[in-house]
Amino acid sequence: MMSKLPPKPFNWPLLILGIVLFLTIICLVYLQLPFGELLRSGDNIGEYLSRYTRPDFSELLTYLWLMVGTVAIALWGTFFSLTLSFFLAPLAAKNLSPHPFIYRIVREILNFFRAMPDLVLALVFVAALGLGPLPGLLALGVHTSGFLGKFFAESMERVDKGVYEGVSATGSNSLQLIMYAAWPSILQEAIGYTLYIFDRNVRMATVLGLVGAGGIGVELNTNLRFFNYEKAATLMLIILVTIIAIDYLSTYLRKKVL
Amino acid sequence: MKILLWARRWPTENGWPSLGIILFILFAAIILLVTAPLVEFNPITIIKSTGNFFSFLSNLLTIPQWSYLPTLSQKMLETLAMGFLSTVFSFCFSLPLGILAAKNSSPLPIVFHLTKNLLSFMRALPEIVWALLFVSALGLGPFPGILALTFVTTGFMGKFFAESIEVVDVGMVEGVQATGANWLQKVHFSMLPQAIPDFIGTTLYILDNNIRSATVLGFVGAGGIGYELISSIRLFNYDRLILIVLAIYLMVTILDYLSTQLRSYII
Repeated sequence: MMSKLPPKPFNWPLLILGIVLFLTIICLVYLQLPFGELLRSGDNIGEYLSRYTRPDFSELLTYLWLMVGTVAIALWGTFFSLTLSFFLAPLAAKNLSPHPFIYRIVREILNFFRAMPDLVLALVFVAALGLGPLPGLLALGVHTSGFLGKFFAESMERVDKGVYEGVSATGSNSLQLIMYAAWPSILQEAIGYTLYIFDRNVRMATVLGLVGAGGIGVELNTNLRFFNYEKAATLMLIILVTIIAIDYLSTYLRKKVL
Repeated sequence: MKILLWARRWPTENGWPSLGIILFILFAAIILLVTAPLVEFNPITIIKSTGNFFSFLSNLLTIPQWSYLPTLSQKMLETLAMGFLSTVFSFCFSLPLGILAAKNSSPLPIVFHLTKNLLSFMRALPEIVWALLFVSALGLGPFPGILALTFVTTGFMGKFFAESIEVVDVGMVEGVQATGANWLQKVHFSMLPQAIPDFIGTTLYILDNNIRSATVLGFVGAGGIGYELISSIRLFNYDRLILIVLAIYLMVTILDYLSTQLRSYII
């Protein structure tokens, strides 16, 4: 006699695949993407892109100096966001925050910082401070402190309870608890996150110039507007090489640290 | 990494930060001071312009232009659709590229190096630069934006996929290999099943990121809410601006919440 078979498990992946496919078709219909045109105008696009194949290196030094300035914006942005999140993170950690109400408020502030894209913040700061790199670094700092603050706070919440109990058993107040239990325990992770944010900030700093917030993006935007394809190609090449180099550097450092 | 070894001795006996940390902070301070003129950092300018900043913010305290809501929701839907479609497309591209770019699942070392470099080339330039290029080539609209997003996030997703394939358990791979499986069977039956939870997490993260990026692609005319945003700032349409900013904030917050929930459910 055969015993009753267990019920066949429901096939989740197929359902998810179906939903994704359905949504994809809806989006494709909604946006009416001209894929056919892309194929038909392939020659034109090829011709257009080929204008970028002859980079003009006559102003290389000026551009390199601009790139140094861009990296400096990223560096200052990272510093700014590190400073902000140094104070905000302990307040946003559930186990360290002095009051649940403060925890909620700081979490919402961090959410808001993360929700506003850095280009939007840069636009606002440009309106307030005028053109230049200063609004750019402020925008980067404010936006990424939303990320860093959240990451740090989550790391602090994950720290073993025993560490906090050990330190508070010595009669420390909450400030000492943060300085001698929370930060030392998450130091390594914090360095990793900061490197990641710096990496990201360098990428973003190169485009802040599109809204007039300094860096190499200003030059790139002007050259593209005036159809200086050769100069734009040089600028893009410099950005590409710098970002790849910094990517490698931060991956290397992160491996060393973690 | 001597600095880290020193840093691990924090907290020290006397309660002060250890020498490594002090040296590192000094080093960072010197670099920041040297680069300060480059970024025109000036605390006085910041303090002076707080008035400007708050007067700008106070402009936002107007009665929202409610008649703008239909256009707004249409543009927000467009932004969402752009983010979603580019995630689907880049998933399709980065699955094969990721398999080729992982050390243990790549068929040949040269393929591994080529794909890895291709991926790092794809993710190097920010989306908005590619969007600028594609807008000049294809004209305004969401299409160039989707292409730019797909191109860049394939670089990221492929790298993340490759990283999750590289950390799979060797035992299972050997077990499948012992049955005489060929390369494709090895990848399909031993590596992918172990990496799939990571893949889902990565895809959710990329979806989140793509929708965020889609909100600013409109700055260069590549579709989505960004164009409305920049034009209402430029034209001082604060009654529209407040609605747009609120809509972006709401969308991103809801997405953040949903993807956190989903991720904790899956992983």
